[in-house]
Amino acid sequence: MSKVADHQLVARAVSAQDTAAFGELVRRHQSQVRNFLRKLSGDIAAADDLSQDCFMHAWDKLQTFSGRGSFIGWLLKIAYTTFLQSKRKSKRYAEILDQVGHKMETEGQSYSVQSDEVTDLDKLLAVLDDDERAIMIMSYACGLSHREISDATSMPVGTVKSVIFRGKQKIRTSFDIKDHQHG
Amino acid sequence: MTSKIINMAERIKDAEDRFLESMFDSAPIADDGFSTAIVRKIRRRLWLRRLALPVAAMIGGAIAIKPLAGLVTAAVRLSSLLPQELLTATFSLVPQAPMIVLGAMLLAACLLGLRALDD
Repeated sequence: MSKVADHQLVARAVSAQDTAAFGELVRRHQSQVRNFLRKLSGDIAAADDLSQDCFMHAWDKLQTFSGRGSFIGWLLKIAYTTFLQSKRKSKRYAEILDQVGHKMETEGQSYSVQSDEVTDLDKLLAVLDDDERAIMIMSYACGLSHREISDATSMPVGTVKSVIFRGKQKIRTSFDIKDHQHG
Repeated sequence: MTSKIINMAERIKDAEDRFLESMFDSAPIADDGFSTAIVRKIRRRLWLRRLALPVAAMIGGAIAIKPLAGLVTAAVRLSSLLPQELLTATFSLVPQAPMIVLGAMLLAACLLGLRALDD
């Protein structure tokens, strides 16, 4: 089954409810999805939970995959939506806690690293907002084209390009990239 | 042609792009049972969905059996109160009644069979 194309596995999973075919798709793409969500959220455990949710949503929506773009692009779209939904939920939870007099520790933070070791990438991602972070990760970590990112984020290609440009500018002003460029 | 040019333009990377790629680069994450857990979860959910209707029907049947028996008894008693002429008149007015009942039963059996084949 390892040589079968993604599109064929999707067709098998949809037409025959073949869980083994879907399992092969999960095996192929779990690393990229989990890496994407780990970088996006900064929390390994939460990212893995979100990855599970993402693949469960993907199973439910598998018949909506048209096969026009890449399967990983489609999966990352679901992963990003799952991330945003979970963020909205925790924001609402924080608001409810706030109303009853409690304060969430992470309140007001867009990106917080839940690991003891803060890497250069964590510092770099911390200066970006959610959209910029997601798009930069899709572009530089997952290697998606601007068209694929546009499909995944439901943003026009021009907006994707300008977000990447803005993200790069933010990174450039926050870190001395020129030293790394030639060294 | 235009899309090819756009793709080529995208592929031309400067030093900054290469630096960012190296920063974002990370080792692949080992599966370690992740995909197996997902597949197990999906199979469990499929089983639950398949079982939901028959289980609900059984529970509903178990709950409904006593009042249903009471209803049948009441109907029998009620029919004994009705004049015999009225009952015979109804059957003579609708002679297809047994065929309608048989047809409905056949239709229900076909629908159930189709559903089983679908599953």
